[in-house]
Amino acid sequence: MTGLASAASLFLLAVGLSLIFGALGIVNFAHGSFFALGAYFLFALTRGDAAGFWHYLPVAVAASLVVGAVVERVFMRRVLNRAEHYQILLTYALLLIIEDVSKICFGADYKSIGMPKGFEMPVFVLGIPFPSYYLGLVGLAAAAALLLWLFLHRTRYGTLVRAVAQDREMLEALGVNVPLLFTVIFALGIGLAGFGGAVSLPLQSISTGVAVDAVISAFIVVVVGGLGSIWGTLLGAILIGEIQAFGALVLPEFSIAFTYVLMAAVLLFRPWGLLGRPPAVRT
Amino acid sequence: MRTKLAVAAVVLAVFPWFLHDYGLQVAIQALVLGVFAMSFNLLFRNTGLLSFGHAACFGAAGYTTALLVSKLRWSFAATLPLALVAAALVALVIGFFSVRLTKIYFTMLTLAFSQMLWAVAHKWYGFTGGDNGITGLLPPGLLGNPKGLYYASLVALVLVSGIIYIVRRSPAGYTLRAVRDNPARAEAIGISAFEYMVAAFVLSGTLSGLAGFLHVAWQHSAFPDLLYWTTSAEVIIAVILGGSAEFFGPAIGAVVLVVLEAVVRSHTQYWPLALGMVLLAMVLFFPSGVISLFQRRQREEVPRAAA
Repeated sequence: MTGLASAASLFLLAVGLSLIFGALGIVNFAHGSFFALGAYFLFALTRGDAAGFWHYLPVAVAASLVVGAVVERVFMRRVLNRAEHYQILLTYALLLIIEDVSKICFGADYKSIGMPKGFEMPVFVLGIPFPSYYLGLVGLAAAAALLLWLFLHRTRYGTLVRAVAQDREMLEALGVNVPLLFTVIFALGIGLAGFGGAVSLPLQSISTGVAVDAVISAFIVVVVGGLGSIWGTLLGAILIGEIQAFGALVLPEFSIAFTYVLMAAVLLFRPWGLLGRPPAVRT
Repeated sequence: MRTKLAVAAVVLAVFPWFLHDYGLQVAIQALVLGVFAMSFNLLFRNTGLLSFGHAACFGAAGYTTALLVSKLRWSFAATLPLALVAAALVALVIGFFSVRLTKIYFTMLTLAFSQMLWAVAHKWYGFTGGDNGITGLLPPGLLGNPKGLYYASLVALVLVSGIIYIVRRSPAGYTLRAVRDNPARAEAIGISAFEYMVAAFVLSGTLSGLAGFLHVAWQHSAFPDLLYWTTSAEVIIAVILGGSAEFFGPAIGAVVLVVLEAVVRSHTQYWPLALGMVLLAMVLFFPSGVISLFQRRQREEVPRAAA
């Protein structure tokens, strides 16, 4: 149960990273920071009072979307065609800046929030009490995954998002506004991360330093599942969430190390991830 | 170039006599990061591989020294050979597996390996002290004296620079750059790209181990942070900030980074914010590093990964 809840949180965190890498080819080291930012937004809006949770959640997500769109327009756009170490440095710079700015704006102490309305009572699974919000979080993540899948596979714009990951030049030649598409994808990825951060707030408190750890967890998840693959990210999130939950019970000392072993093994034997597609030959 | 080098050598040699204690500490930190950055760039410049695993080599050497001194009561200097061997072994394992992959996959795999070491050092309280680290390592004699440590680090920097210079100009150096620029063609004329890249990784990692050893001598302690991915990020920042295409660019970047940090930290606690701003400005406005601000001519382009 704990594993599933953290898997839900990991999925929301990682799926945006995967989406952005798939389409823009950028590895976003600041992704964990946007996750944290979503949580900070929600905390600031509700002033730490769980009563406003559902009310302000859409506002926090909208704020994340806007931040994502602005960051893409102002910064990402300018390193799209540059060597990848510049992309990494730029997103690392954003990580540092967001970290300190949120320290200035929100303070460095731990922030958490009570269980949102409708999920105050625990549920009993096999006689053991669990916060019922575990189920709520899993439901929200599943809904997000389903909506994202519908968007990508059942709408015209979603088809464009998938197409740009495969052949950007061809799409440009067909008259699609690719720069706008990139802004939309980046904003969507950041919005998902912000959503993930906000809905995870009742279960995990947020403070400075969360971003640095979160982005590495997100890397593990997308690498295991397959960079650019949504279902892969889902599988990766469930695997890592459960490994961490069970590892904490069985071998608490080495459960973190084991997730990295899994990441390395996947990279060695299936560099494109468990459910990813091997890269097509490109000229 | 010769006269410039001679002037720099004289300045660096007499420098510590004009510094107060804190200044000397900053200078040592800059030299240690300089050694690390030069070693990192040996791999990056000559093979184009961006490693996020150098913290592993740096930390493995540091932890080897710390463990031998604290558990077996070895004398500090005597641990150096084993520290370098540890760094070389770690580099061999990481390099052996990682250089098969390219671009971001290489970076991710090196990251995974070094995070593995970090996770073990971080959690294995019985052996490494976990996140309490290993503290109270007071090196005796030369390394325990700030001036002595400064000169030891300076010698290390000269030594590492010399090795890199020789490698760059050797046939092996040319071969490496051939592999970097056109792996398929290099393979076609009978070069084993794999062997050359592993060798470069191991040499680069071993020299990074020297920096790890000096770091522990300077800090008198070893913490899991040595192995964390942000340590790898810091050295990458130093290299690119200075300019990876220039021979001494990484060392200059290290000095700029460390001095800037000391200055900013004495005024405000928001050093990460300031560093973020500097990095943003660098990526957007002077991508060839600070060194490019002082010279007009453009040297050879940094290898750009194929889009």
